[in-house]
Amino acid sequence: MMTKALDRVVDAIDIETFLYCKSEDEAKELAESLANELHLPHGDIVFLEFKAWGARVRIRSYIHHPGDHYRWMETQEEK
Amino acid sequence: MKTVLLAPLDPVHDNAIKLIQRRLAEAGYEAISMPPGTTPEEVVQKALVHNADTILVSRTLGYKVGEILSQLVDLAEAAGVRDQTRLGVGGMAITKEIGTELGFDGCFVGELKMEEVIAFIENRASISTDGADSPNLRKKPDITGGYTYEFFDPVIEKLLDQISTQAIDWVGTKTTDGIERAKIRTAMLENEGSASEREKLLEQYLRYCDADIQAFYRSRHLPSGVRWLEQSEIDGVSNLFNTSHENFGSLRHVGSKPLFFSQYGTGCPVMDVLHIKVAEAWGIDGVFHFDPSWNAQREGLLEGYLTHEHDGTIITLENLKFIHHFLEPYTLWNVRGHRGLNTPETQVLGHAAGADLFKINIPYGSTGGGTDPARLTVDGIYSLMLASQYGIPFDIPGNDELSGVPPYKTFAGILIMMALGLKLGARPIPKPLLCYSPYMTIYGRMDDNMIDMNLAKLAVWRDIVDTPLWPGEPVGFMTHTPDRVQSALQTSLHATLASTMGADAVTIASSDEAYSKGPISVQARVDTLRAVKDQLRFQGSVKATLSPEAELIKEEIHEKITETLQAVAERGDFVASIYEGLLGSKEDGLYPGRVGAGTVRG
Repeated sequence: MMTKALDRVVDAIDIETFLYCKSEDEAKELAESLANELHLPHGDIVFLEFKAWGARVRIRSYIHHPGDHYRWMETQEEK
Repeated sequence: MKTVLLAPLDPVHDNAIKLIQRRLAEAGYEAISMPPGTTPEEVVQKALVHNADTILVSRTLGYKVGEILSQLVDLAEAAGVRDQTRLGVGGMAITKEIGTELGFDGCFVGELKMEEVIAFIENRASISTDGADSPNLRKKPDITGGYTYEFFDPVIEKLLDQISTQAIDWVGTKTTDGIERAKIRTAMLENEGSASEREKLLEQYLRYCDADIQAFYRSRHLPSGVRWLEQSEIDGVSNLFNTSHENFGSLRHVGSKPLFFSQYGTGCPVMDVLHIKVAEAWGIDGVFHFDPSWNAQREGLLEGYLTHEHDGTIITLENLKFIHHFLEPYTLWNVRGHRGLNTPETQVLGHAAGADLFKINIPYGSTGGGTDPARLTVDGIYSLMLASQYGIPFDIPGNDELSGVPPYKTFAGILIMMALGLKLGARPIPKPLLCYSPYMTIYGRMDDNMIDMNLAKLAVWRDIVDTPLWPGEPVGFMTHTPDRVQSALQTSLHATLASTMGADAVTIASSDEAYSKGPISVQARVDTLRAVKDQLRFQGSVKATLSPEAELIKEEIHEKITETLQAVAERGDFVASIYEGLLGSKEDGLYPGRVGAGTVRG
């Protein structure tokens, strides 16, 4: 069976982008919505800097937390 | 005098509290600080004792942050402190949402801005003074201001006089289709109001154009992949950016130079405007217009609002004016001038659209895949005359180093361009390239470090002539990889190296510099700007000193520049010198350009 690439993510996925928006609050809302639209669980804003026309943002979603059962280990064992 | 109570609700971290205390004391406030590990009860008791006007608390650790802060708010309310005391919170663990939710009057997140803290204490709206040179105070600087162009090396000065005189004499009354179009375009601009005159001039213009350009004007047949911008797109950009905004600070931590430039040319004027506005917001001082390479290889330029999905934004008067309209008043705007067969006309359009700077380098532009040396010499010298007539300085990029040319040959070419410009009344700005060029890798000239060679390449100019210096284009060329952290780091290191040498301006890349599969992203621009700003903060006003090795390299470059100029002077023919490789040979990796060969008349 093909293993899911998502299972091989060691801990987190970061989305690095720039959002056109009018305020820092709007940037935060957009960043959270973006994580949801991309079906990334529990998206967290690691970094956000807003200036005038938009925000540089890093959104993080943890796929494996320390202490989880790591699927990247299970897939290796299956192999 | 207002009393401000400062308390770290945190077991360890109180740096910000100490810093704010010092700054508030300097600003005339009575600032009382409490030690790390202070409890909410102790804060409220102290506030009552000192009758504090403001309480500012900080929290760095995320652990129990909500619990502790809400306890403070509750206690303050129960003790009646909040009736006369404003309550503010800040620190790494704090977000605006937490502060608002818990009922704080003020919340400080991100970089500490004292004007915001003081505005909060005074209960007034904050006035942003982000950076000493805010737009209200920022003026459009003259990079050439204060420089005399006095030569300190009389041998080089004499050689340059000889070479530039010969080149100008050789051009004499020669002309090209490019020059004729520039003259007609000038007349068209002067007769914009008259439709009949425009029709007449356009017919004359088309006689000097390639067939596909003629087809565009006669039947509105667009080149492959090009489309008209829709009116809704043009209006849409105006709606996006015709709003007031906070003052933009600069990248500089100290002083007024270097100025920082970046290039744009996404292919679409709308996207360009967005990239420029973001770069301005994050501290850029100036931008370059880059156009597609085919713009340089056809006789004639298009017109109208045009976009395409390829690298480089098409040069038309409408596109240029559209982009220029959105620039901040202090942003310097460079329209790359040496555009192959359209070099003179590009200066005409650039000037009409409001350009502050041109870019012309005949030896560089007439090599590699570029323009025939004779053609670009005739067009380039005409363009220098236009730059002089318009009073627009021109910069001289030394990017032929990227083909493998040693720096002394590139610098000799730049010096010849300087001499030509000065002789014609224009103001040149040399641009030595800080890079890890093929010459350096092949001959191992930067095996140990990247500092000595780059410092020497800047320092040698100070021994030759009193001129502004503008390392580019961009700095760190060939050191970048597609990794954004590495790329932004290399740019920031090179930019600050230039800054330590007193450079007047620096061209910086985005962190997408080495990514070649698509356009530069906006975040890639922001990342590099942030990296440069931080590196400048790290460096402050520290200046570089040349190592003994760098001194030796500098002397070597100086000596070989002289030898190169002697060879060109002895050849007695500037154009032949380019054809024959005196300023960069086939062995170096440089070939004379072929576009427009055989098109010089007279």
